[in-house]
Amino acid sequence: MRVALSSLIFALLIQQTPAPLPSQNAGDVYICPMDPDVRSNSPGKCARCGMALVAGLPDPVEYHLDLNVLPKPIKPGQPANLAFEVHDPWKNRTVTNFQVVHEKLFHMFVVSQDLEVFLHNHPTLGADGKFHYDYVFPKAGMYRVLGDFYPDGATPQLIAKTLYVPGPAPKPAALARDYATKDTENMSVELVTEPQQPISGSTTQMIFKIKPGDGLEKYLGAWGHMLVASSDLIDMIHEHPFIADGGPQVQFNVTFPRAKSYRVWVQFQRKGVVNTAHFDVPVKELGR
Amino acid sequence: MEIGDWTAKVRRNAEISLFRFALLSVVALVFLSSSAEPHDIITTPVTWNREISRIFYSRCVACHREGGSAFSMAEYKETFPWRTAIKEEVLERRMPPWGAVKGFGDFSNDQALTPEQLELLTSWAQGGSPEGEAKDLASKDKLDEMIKESAWYEKKPHALDPAGGIVAKGDLKLTKGFVLDGLLPRNVPEDGSFQIIAELPDGRIEPLLWLDGYKQQFAHAFLFRDPIELPAGTTITGIPKGSTITLLPAPKK
Repeated sequence: MRVALSSLIFALLIQQTPAPLPSQNAGDVYICPMDPDVRSNSPGKCARCGMALVAGLPDPVEYHLDLNVLPKPIKPGQPANLAFEVHDPWKNRTVTNFQVVHEKLFHMFVVSQDLEVFLHNHPTLGADGKFHYDYVFPKAGMYRVLGDFYPDGATPQLIAKTLYVPGPAPKPAALARDYATKDTENMSVELVTEPQQPISGSTTQMIFKIKPGDGLEKYLGAWGHMLVASSDLIDMIHEHPFIADGGPQVQFNVTFPRAKSYRVWVQFQRKGVVNTAHFDVPVKELGR
Repeated sequence: MEIGDWTAKVRRNAEISLFRFALLSVVALVFLSSSAEPHDIITTPVTWNREISRIFYSRCVACHREGGSAFSMAEYKETFPWRTAIKEEVLERRMPPWGAVKGFGDFSNDQALTPEQLELLTSWAQGGSPEGEAKDLASKDKLDEMIKESAWYEKKPHALDPAGGIVAKGDLKLTKGFVLDGLLPRNVPEDGSFQIIAELPDGRIEPLLWLDGYKQQFAHAFLFRDPIELPAGTTITGIPKGSTITLLPAPKK
């Protein structure tokens, strides 16, 4: 309750819009009664059959994301092309209409199984209806790839994929608590959590203190970006600040799902330079 | 006892009483706020009628309903008292009892909750669990349709006949090509976490299934969205010793 109260008080005191929930801003969507895969955020007619689109609430449906990497097999240290293709869940047609979220149509995160490799970038939509990205996987092993996109007329999608680069795999990460201040490109980042010991299933306030505090800029439409990955790579969470105003303190609110250790990457932009830092956060079960 | 001492004692007792009263008031407030419905502070825009009922009807109500295999969670008033337990169960991935990690293999009957659904459920459970406006609730026909589309409806995930499959007990090398339609685990360690992969002769590695907390009580097949062609010489690895996984063949065209 304390966390809920403090969150409420903060929300009332500070005129800052929290990160939207998946369907919070979705409002009505417009769906073709004949072709449910034809969807739009504005009224109109179905491009396929001409029927008037009908207003409704978006269902919690999951789109399909295919990831194809060439050449096969993937080789460490050699160029590869990642191609993402989105399909609707009704007729399995390729989806090409997306809403821009944080200045991009598609956000991609890549994390290696030892949590040493972290990439946040943006594949571009090609004429073939697929999002493409060229990448050199630096080492063998398992990678988790997260696609974050928002099909028109649906709800935002966050879909994980897994791929293997053949070869001797690195050992899985064993994370100890690491809250040490990080010196990055042109800032230092300090982490304080409330509660000090995060509890699974409860909100943890993650407060980042940035020095120097001047010159902070929005990066991709937000004052910061966060990716949270559990040490076993089962949980992957993409968050944006809960409280931020361009000052030297940025707060994210995170609910860690399970009592595991998590690596948390944060990205902030200062004077045109993107800074990436990571911290390791052990999370315990209540009462243990 | 001097008058001054007596006055000080009375004041001290009064202060202790006041402190006790304040403490009891706080405890009572905390108790009421955490257990009584009208006192829950609403801090979330997510409501039962708008988002949560749709998730429940597509993932939970096929079992959690009158006449189903578990207690009913078809109505707001039935679900509200369970809100905290629901949050814990879904965050720990114990419910729905899918038993596999999302994004490792791609399944047509996938019943795991998406990250967005987990975020909505968490926000609703932590934010006072409001019912919302009646106009946002989907029609009964629509809700019935969502139940019937669930892979759990009428025990669909259990109704698969593995005839014609290959039974793997530990690592297995295919001596001839096989078109894999799905996997049916049996006798796998409960609460275990292990990844089953296919190592193809050309060096590719295909992730097939990452079981995590799979329960025999909720045994079911994992059916791929598209069948996977495995050439002769493919090795299936990652099956724990003593476990049995049946490789289900794709229907012949």
